[in-house]
Amino acid sequence: MSVRLELEGVSHRYARDGDPALADLSISVEPGELVALLGPSGCGKTTALKVVAGLLAPTAGDVRVDGRSVLGTPPERRRAAMVFQKPLLFPHMDVAANVGFGLRMRGAPKKDSASRVREALRQVQMESLANRRPGELSGGQQQRVALARALVTDPQLLLMDEPLSALDANLRSEMRDLVKQLQRDGGVTAVFVTHDQEEAVVLADRIALLFDGVLQMYDRPQAFYDRPASRAVAGFFGATNFLEGRAANGTVRTPLGKLRLARPAPTGDVVLTIRPEALRLEGGENSFAARIASATYLGTQVDYTLETGGARLRAALPPHVRLGVGEEVTVRLPPESLWTLER
Amino acid sequence: MTLGDRTKIVLLLAPALLVIGVLFSGGLAAALVQSLGYLPAIGRTEVSFAAYREVLGSRDFLDSLILTLYVAGASTGISTVLAVLAALSLRRSSGRVSAVVFQLPITIPHLVAAVGIALVVSQTGLGARLAAALGLIGEPREFPALLYDRYSIGIILTYVWKEVPFIALVVLAALRGVAGELEEVARTLGASAWQRFWYVIFPVIAPGVVAASLIVFAFTFGAFEIPYLLGQTYPTILPVMAYNEYRALDLGARPVAMAINVLIAVITAAIAAAYLRLGRDLGRG
Repeated sequence: MSVRLELEGVSHRYARDGDPALADLSISVEPGELVALLGPSGCGKTTALKVVAGLLAPTAGDVRVDGRSVLGTPPERRRAAMVFQKPLLFPHMDVAANVGFGLRMRGAPKKDSASRVREALRQVQMESLANRRPGELSGGQQQRVALARALVTDPQLLLMDEPLSALDANLRSEMRDLVKQLQRDGGVTAVFVTHDQEEAVVLADRIALLFDGVLQMYDRPQAFYDRPASRAVAGFFGATNFLEGRAANGTVRTPLGKLRLARPAPTGDVVLTIRPEALRLEGGENSFAARIASATYLGTQVDYTLETGGARLRAALPPHVRLGVGEEVTVRLPPESLWTLER
Repeated sequence: MTLGDRTKIVLLLAPALLVIGVLFSGGLAAALVQSLGYLPAIGRTEVSFAAYREVLGSRDFLDSLILTLYVAGASTGISTVLAVLAALSLRRSSGRVSAVVFQLPITIPHLVAAVGIALVVSQTGLGARLAAALGLIGEPREFPALLYDRYSIGIILTYVWKEVPFIALVVLAALRGVAGELEEVARTLGASAWQRFWYVIFPVIAPGVVAASLIVFAFTFGAFEIPYLLGQTYPTILPVMAYNEYRALDLGARPVAMAINVLIAVITAAIAAAYLRLGRDLGRG
């Protein structure tokens, strides 16, 4: 049975008079959901994970599993298995013994645990290496074993602390798929810590974005692109087009000109943002004359810098649209793609 | 590394290696030759195992050997257990106080340590006077004899005081490394405190513990000054026995002294080999 995890007002300070590593974090993770804690290094995401695991006690707040506080429960009884950045396999045990460790500690019958270990190793495609020592495995193989070791105990919570960050790019996307598949198949409620925005978007059902220990936004991945909560959030997700202006009656007066909005906006000073891939090279509403200032071919897309009368815009266009530097174009900012932020 | 580099390193190390080599193997070879009765200085050039026969056949040697094994074994065993416990309890402290407390005894010579222990535990010492003052015993001289006693308690106490910090520092380094991280993993996998120690921490630190305690055993088995100062007159510890023979006016006793020394080296080496093997097996879990 999958469980619901709730953090309520969780704070943590490492030093009594220091800045909080985590300040008043409240999120809830639905049964079987995978939530990514995302943010730059030092933002408190690992701290939050360790609080959930019980390895750190919060200085304030509560952690609840299915509505019941687990703060009084030591980590070894929380059934929250953790996968770390390093595989941390037990060096004196072979692969099978590593995977079977949790079952052995719980006193599971030998026969039953042997078949569960085999099954777990099969899931991570490591069954042929069951008798190897950790030192004889590659980094990716070790991390697979670490994953199997956590999952075989049938945990209520699967906690992962940047488990893929030490792997090279190819292996990483492969492992990403494996993590996602295993988590979905098992239906285990999971929290995944990462500093990689792409990893969070691909893996997570929802993302909690933290800066300096403070939750910035907690929503589905798409929302971070479509409706970022702040300029900083939009910036972290790669938005570079910001237009300051004054909103009134559904339009915003910006250095570029007057822009119409699809959604009502509060009257006053605002910042408009639009993703580079949302810009269109066409006429119509919200369109302006522009000149190509630079073009960078990236294989799957081309990045253009567009110079307009009052602003520079970045546009990402499909590679079959080939425009040269200096060319005159018309660029349109579709109203439905404009997002208004408070200034 | 190129061949040139290697030659350079060998050449740079040559003076040190030469000194160590001459002192170590030279000393050992000289002891071996003399133990076989070859002493041209007093006109003996015949080689025989007479000294070994005399030593191994004597009751004195057997008594000394048993005492030496007991003292070295007890000192090493007690030091190791205390050191591991100390390291386990200290590993989470950031450690300035513990570092000082632990490094201090290491800097103090064994002789000074022996004098210090004698000051505390002798029947006229601080411990006896304190116990009398507290009314635990009637008079200071009723304090149990811990020096020159048949259980060699003074010797063992001195060794323990000196060697616990040494082993603890080695263990502490291992604990603060990967063992701590592995323990967290074990914890999230449901291992209790005892299970974490027995299945994870102990196997990980075992090779370091074995190596450090082996050094302590080899040292206490072959060391001379503390048993000489704090030990009883009979039986004595093997190095003291060897020294007494060596000091004898009759140069003819020299082969016996050297035979004891060679036997000390052989026994230490044999125990070390067995112990290292044990350490390797423990590390394998």
